[in-house]
Amino acid sequence: MNDLSSGMLTLAQSGFPEPMLQATLAHYLVVSLAMFAIGLIGFLTRRNLIVMFLCTELMFQAAGLALIAFGRYHMNYDGQTFVIFVLTIAAAEAALALALVVLLFRKKDSLDADAWSALKG
Amino acid sequence: MELLINPVVLYLACALGAVAVWIAAPRARISPQIIGFGVGALALGLVLAALGITTPSGIPNLYFYVFAIIALGASLRVITHPRPVYAALYFILTILASCGLYLILSATFMAFALVIIYAGAILITYLFVIMLATQAPTEDDVDALSAYDTTAREPAVAAFVGFLLVAVLGAMLFKGTASLQPLPLPTASADAPLAILPGRVADALRDADLIDDDEVVATDEDGSAMVDADLRQAIIETTEGDRRTVAWPDELSATNVEGVALSLLFRHPGTIEIAGVILLMAMLGATVLSRRQVEIDEDQKRQQAAALARGNTPAGGGS
Repeated sequence: MNDLSSGMLTLAQSGFPEPMLQATLAHYLVVSLAMFAIGLIGFLTRRNLIVMFLCTELMFQAAGLALIAFGRYHMNYDGQTFVIFVLTIAAAEAALALALVVLLFRKKDSLDADAWSALKG
Repeated sequence: MELLINPVVLYLACALGAVAVWIAAPRARISPQIIGFGVGALALGLVLAALGITTPSGIPNLYFYVFAIIALGASLRVITHPRPVYAALYFILTILASCGLYLILSATFMAFALVIIYAGAILITYLFVIMLATQAPTEDDVDALSAYDTTAREPAVAAFVGFLLVAVLGAMLFKGTASLQPLPLPTASADAPLAILPGRVADALRDADLIDDDEVVATDEDGSAMVDADLRQAIIETTEGDRRTVAWPDELSATNVEGVALSLLFRHPGTIEIAGVILLMAMLGATVLSRRQVEIDEDQKRQQAAALARGNTPAGGGS
């Protein structure tokens, strides 16, 4: 609300050299935590293979948000650099996982994860 | 120790969140998604209000609330929407809202990289695979949904486990962040990348008319540029070899891209190589996996070999 009181509504939190408060960091961590939990629950509850992989991407996204928030709080760029690597892993995972999903779909003609419940042993 | 949030409020919000996800989970019958979203919004609002009340000075930018609500609402929709295509589209909405949050955190480069890579490349691949790997709809029922899309597996247990994790992690996290101290960096450290970018410093000084066009930033015996990011000044050399110290103009500061590039290429160069190898291996793996094997039995193979031999021998003998 500081921005509003000074009559300036800028998109950026504040100038980068200015420190960010703990409470503000906690706000971003809440969002990250909730997003991670939603992704986890989605992975457990959904039965469509593609949507399950989409939920892992949701968890990647939550981790990325936490990394960026911590990087901003400590005022260095390593958090952002690590998000680049998270993106790389996400891209590699998407390429491989989707190839596997197409392969599995050809075998059983269904995207249902329960179609493979024989693997339970 | 001063806590950022009252644990009871946090646990209450977690319980509400679990109930919200459980209500919103897809079911075979009509599922009351609106109620689930209402309860979820209540839980999120409870946590954000509790955080705002305990430390009134630490209220974030107004846009934070907009983007956070869009991101979490869309991600709840990702895991509850019965149609995979819509789930993927809502995931794109989540990405765009996270980009807004990145922008508020002044991570400009990553925000746009996220739009290009995630929303532009990865999610489009997902959409293609969803279209490839879906049964063709039957004539009479075009809008039919598969049973495995419309019913969730154990929504109550999953919601309980998920938000139990949030409650435990959240309690630990807020205890930890209360004692967390930001690094005691001087404000000029954000400009540290400029110390190795003498050309950019010289350009900025020229634009501010502080130096002439033929003057450059001086170098010491090692060949490194004499730019001091902490004192915000540079030593300038004229063509005659005279040196003088010039202070930077106030508006000269390192951009986000320069900072990320310095961190990426100077501090983690080996990691980039590993990332490249990972991408290459993923490409190889995807190609090998999605290759369709042509099934031919022994007779066909023999016939084809014979046909090839008949076709090639005269031509080979004639040459």
